[in-house]
Amino acid sequence: MLAVLPSATLHGLDGRYIRVEVDVAPGLPGCTIVGLADAALQEARERIRGAIRNAGFVFPPRRISINLAPADLRKAGASLDLAMAVGILLGSEQARAGTEGVGLIGELSLGGDVQAVPGILPMVAALSRHGIVRVVVASGATSEARLVRGVDVVGVATLAEAAEVVRGRRPRRPPVAMPRVTIPGTEADRAAGTAPLDVATAVPDLAEVRGQGGARRALEIALAGGHGLLMTGPPGVGKTLLARTIPGLLPPLDEAAALAVTVIASAAGEGPIRMLRRQAPFRAPHHTLSYAAMVGGGPTLTPGEVTRADHGVLFLDELAEFDRDVLESLRQPLEEGRVVIARAGRVTTFPARFQLIAAMNPCPCGFAGTDDGRCRCPDAVVERYERRISGPLRDRIDLWATMPRVPPASLVRMDEPETTQVVAARIAVVREHSRRRNRGALNAGLRGRELRLAARMRGDARERVVDLAEAEAASGRGTERLVRVARTIADLDGSDGVEVRHLDEAAFFRDAGQRAAGALAS
Amino acid sequence: MLGVSTLGPVGPVGPGGPVASAAGPADERDAWAILASIDGLGPIAFAALLARYGSGRAVIEDATRPGAAIRLAATPSLDLRDEPPDRARRPVGDVMGRVIADAVQRGAHVLERLAEVGVRVVILDEPAYPVRLAKVAMPPHVLFVTGDAAALGRPRAVAVVGTRRPSTSGRTAAGRIATALVAVDAVVVSGLAHGIDGVAHETTVRAGGVTVAVIGSGHACVSPRSHQRLAEAIVRAGGAVVSELAPDVEPTRGTFPRRNRIISGLSQATVVVEAPARSGALITASWALEQGRECFLVPGPIDAPTAAGCLAFLREFGGAARIVAGVPQLIADLGLAGTRRGADAAPVPSDAVVAASLATLGRTEGTIAQALLEGLRTVDELVAATGHTVSAVLSTLALLERRGLVAGLHGRYRPDGALLGVARMPKPR
Repeated sequence: MLAVLPSATLHGLDGRYIRVEVDVAPGLPGCTIVGLADAALQEARERIRGAIRNAGFVFPPRRISINLAPADLRKAGASLDLAMAVGILLGSEQARAGTEGVGLIGELSLGGDVQAVPGILPMVAALSRHGIVRVVVASGATSEARLVRGVDVVGVATLAEAAEVVRGRRPRRPPVAMPRVTIPGTEADRAAGTAPLDVATAVPDLAEVRGQGGARRALEIALAGGHGLLMTGPPGVGKTLLARTIPGLLPPLDEAAALAVTVIASAAGEGPIRMLRRQAPFRAPHHTLSYAAMVGGGPTLTPGEVTRADHGVLFLDELAEFDRDVLESLRQPLEEGRVVIARAGRVTTFPARFQLIAAMNPCPCGFAGTDDGRCRCPDAVVERYERRISGPLRDRIDLWATMPRVPPASLVRMDEPETTQVVAARIAVVREHSRRRNRGALNAGLRGRELRLAARMRGDARERVVDLAEAEAASGRGTERLVRVARTIADLDGSDGVEVRHLDEAAFFRDAGQRAAGALAS
Repeated sequence: MLGVSTLGPVGPVGPGGPVASAAGPADERDAWAILASIDGLGPIAFAALLARYGSGRAVIEDATRPGAAIRLAATPSLDLRDEPPDRARRPVGDVMGRVIADAVQRGAHVLERLAEVGVRVVILDEPAYPVRLAKVAMPPHVLFVTGDAAALGRPRAVAVVGTRRPSTSGRTAAGRIATALVAVDAVVVSGLAHGIDGVAHETTVRAGGVTVAVIGSGHACVSPRSHQRLAEAIVRAGGAVVSELAPDVEPTRGTFPRRNRIISGLSQATVVVEAPARSGALITASWALEQGRECFLVPGPIDAPTAAGCLAFLREFGGAARIVAGVPQLIADLGLAGTRRGADAAPVPSDAVVAASLATLGRTEGTIAQALLEGLRTVDELVAATGHTVSAVLSTLALLERRGLVAGLHGRYRPDGALLGVARMPKPR
């Protein structure tokens, strides 16, 4: 007997509607899966066999053919397990179909339990687009599936329950059993919704960063305008601490961005997801990560760090320690806001509109520029260390902040620094205001004519731009960078046009190489 | 001429095809330039070849004819080292002979390359060669120069050298000494390295003075690379960059100590600002003493590693090496005081230049410059001390830096240029 069930697989960030056709016919006992199923899917046979037996059913000793349509689409992952198993039960008449068109998404364990898979949100959305109104998912994934409007989501824990739902009955017990004790930072804690969703560790308040007025200012400008920022300084001056305050400083995402971010988190397997992610992503991969982990890829086309940081911040600590290949891979996403991955006949494009914030030591030992003479790196080594940051990457860094070691005495003397709340409010105002003026773009996205119009410079400011460009023998690009940053500084100042003092401050944050050149040309 | 050219075989023959028709070097200077560009041909062999052939052109002409390698290797020793003739090493070995013969074939390329890089050649035999350097033992036969070659021979020239990793006070001292030397119209000679050398050159350029950089590599491979722009600025300001090495010679361990003898040789005196033990600057100081030039060392605290070398040198050569007891005193000790504008001004680098650049500063710039003179270094310290907002301090620092009054490195800012010459800011008017 033939059974047909709708299901879905994940293809990059997209869910794809898959029709699972199961035919149980007399003949030599066996089970074949056709329709471009990859190796992991072929293994599903064994999982399904075990799950059916251990759930109290009988794996029919007959000839079973499973076809996954459309046949030309490569399928991967375990999301089709549940549909195939239920198909076998229907085909061998161990279960009856009461209602037509129930979509099933889930992985099976040998014990017959249904488990959540990455990408529930985009997959349920794909089913919804194909007119499926009722979807069965693992009980842990119901809240994520319910983010898709207009779909009746049923959470099930076991294969037997799924068969009941297909027949037309609702499981009686509540779908999610809440854990009674929550341990901070654990999976259960995040499931309970007591901790911030995508940051495992707590976000420090900006007031915890003592001193470093220059770098704090640079960070505020960077976040307000979406500019790339590189912080340089010896270990222990607060580069990483400062970066970790970023999630608290970014304003919440709007509806469209939040949906995009949530889909990416779902596809990347960050679940369980209980609500739309309103917080801008903050990704801080370790410098040992691989090329594939940065840009995305792998057999199931998992999104990489650049995509997971979409609409948010990609923080690269110890920038110079990253592999050259990995840093070079940032070129395309930085220039185009997307990343194209080509793998064995498949080409996928992932969004990657992130803001780059990075930190590095001034030299391999980290102590160049401190007065105590601890740095023993030869000059050539220090120069080479700086040159690891290649041209295209430099071009995307608008702000260069150097962070000196702060003497303990001045730590005590200083006034109480501003808190996250105060600075975040300023950043939010500038972002909103500049988006309105720039037709949706942050200042970092301004180029050429748009930038000239947005800058609204008077005569004296224009002269200063010429002076600065000549002093540094700056390229057109370098000059644009300066004006862009000055635009954001003027916005923070509440000024309609860019003025001389804004340009001067922007000049403070220019590239170290340009700075050296400028000093001599004067 | 020796007439050797008439002895050659007639017509272009030879196993390797026609010999590059040795359109011989136009003049003696080109011939020397070609010989000096040969890797491994040092001053001793150079002198021996000249003594045997009489001129550089004769060497080149002979080297282009067959069998040159063997003939060149037979060059007798000049006995420069007072060794008995039988033990004296041959100045040109068999391998070297072949190298010379080969290299001479490519002579035209060498000259083209010199023109391409824009390097001028000054040879020991011509009047343009700096007189002071000609007097030292084993002067370089050829100097490769960019910029104004006349700067090398100016009557007043003082070398300012020191460690690549100076302390803040070392930088300040180097800057003040350089500014003072400019004020008495002296050329500042140094080695274009990071640290003290760089400060000496930079300050001189900014104060409108003439400075000479002696580099330990060819002109096309200036080391450190980050000082390429400094080298260009030196040339623009009427100074010179000089080397005894052909443009494409990469720096190696040995080239830097060798060039140090040129630094001291070009100068009437050498001033070492800061030197840890075993510093290259001390080699320059030793050369100065050996060449019969004066040598001054800036003392420092006995527990500072950056002063250890200077102090040890002063102790060792107490009679010959002298101590720097203040910048005006140094100028007096050098015998340069009382000239040009030094006569009426008590603190040497003050007046016109300084005043002009400080007079135009606004109130904010003035207070920040004053705070920097008082030893404050970071943005945080400046904000706390002056009470200005962070953004005001940042824009002011950028402005001061652009005007050459402040230099920033790794987030620390210090007085530079004209500010180095003053103890405190003049009262704002």
